Amino acid sequence: MTAVAASIPPSWYLLLAATVFCIGLLGVLTRRSALYFLMSVELMMNAANINFVAFALYYGDLTGQVFALFVIALAAAEVAIGIGIILVLYRNFGVTDVTVPTEMRW
Amino acid sequence: MIDVFSYVPAIVLLPFFSFLVALGAGKYLPKGGAFGGIAATAGSFLLSLWVLATVAGGQAANRTIYTWASAGGIGPTDVELTFGILVDPLSALMLVIVTLVALLVHVFSLGYMNDEGETGLPRYYAGLGLFTASMLGFVVADNLLMAFMFFELVGLCSYLLIGFHFREPGPPSAAKKAFLVTRFGDYFFLIGVVAVLATFGTAQFAGPESFPALAEAGEVAWTPGGLAVDTWFTIVGLLVLGGVVGKSAQFPLHTWLPDAMEGPTPVSALIHAATMVAAGVYLVARMYGFYALSPTALAVIAFIGGFTALFAATMGVVKDELKQVLAYSTISQYGYMMLALGAGGYVAAVFHLTTHAFFKALLFLGAGSVIIAMHHNEDMWDMGGLKSKLPVTYYTFLAGSLALAGIFPFAGFWSKDEILYEALVHAPGEPLLFGGYLMGLLAVPVTAFYTFRMVFLTFHGEPRSATARDPEPVRWNVKGPLTVLGSLAVVTGVINMVPVQKVLGIEGIDVLHRWLDNEWGGIEGLSSHHYADLGPYSSEYLVGGEVGTVLVGAAVSLGLALAGLGLAWRLYGVPSPTEHTAKLGGIKDVLYNNYYLDELQVWLAYRTEDVAGVANVFDQGIIDGVVNGVSSVSLFGGNRIRRLQSGVVSQYTALLTLGLVALVLVLGVTGGWFL
Repeated sequence: MTAVAASIPPSWYLLLAATVFCIGLLGVLTRRSALYFLMSVELMMNAANINFVAFALYYGDLTGQVFALFVIALAAAEVAIGIGIILVLYRNFGVTDVTVPTEMRW
Repeated sequence: MIDVFSYVPAIVLLPFFSFLVALGAGKYLPKGGAFGGIAATAGSFLLSLWVLATVAGGQAANRTIYTWASAGGIGPTDVELTFGILVDPLSALMLVIVTLVALLVHVFSLGYMNDEGETGLPRYYAGLGLFTASMLGFVVADNLLMAFMFFELVGLCSYLLIGFHFREPGPPSAAKKAFLVTRFGDYFFLIGVVAVLATFGTAQFAGPESFPALAEAGEVAWTPGGLAVDTWFTIVGLLVLGGVVGKSAQFPLHTWLPDAMEGPTPVSALIHAATMVAAGVYLVARMYGFYALSPTALAVIAFIGGFTALFAATMGVVKDELKQVLAYSTISQYGYMMLALGAGGYVAAVFHLTTHAFFKALLFLGAGSVIIAMHHNEDMWDMGGLKSKLPVTYYTFLAGSLALAGIFPFAGFWSKDEILYEALVHAPGEPLLFGGYLMGLLAVPVTAFYTFRMVFLTFHGEPRSATARDPEPVRWNVKGPLTVLGSLAVVTGVINMVPVQKVLGIEGIDVLHRWLDNEWGGIEGLSSHHYADLGPYSSEYLVGGEVGTVLVGAAVSLGLALAGLGLAWRLYGVPSPTEHTAKLGGIKDVLYNNYYLDELQVWLAYRTEDVAGVANVFDQGIIDGVVNGVSSVSLFGGNRIRRLQSGVVSQYTALLTLGLVALVLVLGVTGGWFL
């Protein structure tokens, strides 16, 4: 299994990660619902994870894999806080559309 | 190295702290912050005495404490702008005089301001503290620019204190006048400072690299348009003299001083004896090594001085108010000091500055005591007969008056006599100086006359008003300073008994001469002998050699003074004196109106209105226009750019992403990724 994964050139992994990241970014830019935001951010973080793991494999170094674990933990925490924010948003404005509350403008 | 000179800045800073304390916490303190001021000036006085003793022990200091700007560019050499201290016999003496008078004025203020129930006392004591601090800073200044800064601070403080009673109509306008007239002189002074910096690349007073030393050696870095060095020195000297004429109230910029009598009387004492007015004369003495190189500047100083001495004395003759007479006497006495400086009598000028500081402070404080007693009525025609009611005031005031009139053996006699002697022996062959001498001599009887007219009208004869019959008593805080100054006015003459030395041949009693000649130590190049060597004058004795000239000169001036005194006694020393001014005829009106000089100045001001108008347009249009333009551009830009802050999270994200993409593109193109 490892041998198969290592035989693929690293640029492929990078390409895959970049694609996933862009999909996530596109989601953040185009969607209005805060829930979609959370999911898109999850995609972007996992794109970073792919890079970590790919480089860890390429250099034979476990640091990258450890960091990927950290990122997963961080993503869980982020979702917890994010959902909290969305709940407050909904309670105050009755929507989860992020373009509606513009109280913090100039 | 910690020595006494390390504490010299503290002499300046102590009154400054009393200013801060009185300003910040004065209304919570007893007596409106007076004790802080008394403690601070007493501390400064003790430190000054210590400094004086150290200088007498043969030490001196010329130190730079802080360099606040250093640049090449305004002249051919690099220029350093610094703060520093210069402690030599002259400044040590002046420190003691200023702190002593300031201390006594603070104590006297307890009687004049606090006991009289004045309001706004914290403001008053703050002003006194700052005034003292500025003057002390000026005295220890080691370069011309620092001196100029403190000179200006002194002017500001006089404005604040003269206008102390700002709710009445007179004082604010007098304060403005004092500020503007002295500013007019200071304008020339400022140009002079820049000229000195550009010419020599330094403004230091002392040391081998100082501007008097460079001027003496002829090492000039720059003169405008290749002007001859001597001519340029004269011009620079006269420019600086502009500030001196303004501050020391010399003709034609003396008009502010009589109006400055609107200020509280202790302030007048401080202004006239030790601070503001003394600053001008002290400045000339400080840079005397520079003036001594220019015979023309010296002659001008002597002539202005002699003229002012006579001119102001004649106006003092007809005044009705106690403080007005004293004001004109101050102008006149500073005229004498200028005459002495111009005549090469450096020591004589410093001597008169010292004795005058004591007897004029005494006279003003005595006048303050009379004013308390008279419930703030200053008209001498309402007084009379106060002699028996205010004995302490009377006898001290009398001592001060005898000193002012130059009667043997009071302090003023010795100093005035020496000034006239110096002018006389240096006068042959110098028409301007001789003119100055004659006017100075003529002013002697006039001075004695108006001084004793004042004494007789105030203290002698029958009381001429209800208040004079039952005056308010004064307390210890008035009598104490008067007693101290009264004793000084009697005995200060002993520090410099040159005539006695010359006539009787007792060596070594010309202490002040030896003091200023660095006999106990001092700074190279700042001694009176050095100045005499530099100066253009040689001594010629008219009658009977040196001794004869001394005796004749002293006899003539004493005789003239006694004549003036006698005339005053004849006219006003009677039980119920009357006005005699009608005998003067048309001159009376001219004198009453101060030779119409105020009117002339106002007329000149109106004639030059157009210049001010152009300056105003330039200021409002161009200077303010640039400043306002800059601010409105940033206001407008800020107004537009803040619309970016829309509050929509998606837009922020989009901007962030675009920014990142742009950054990557720029880095990529410049970093060569795409090649």
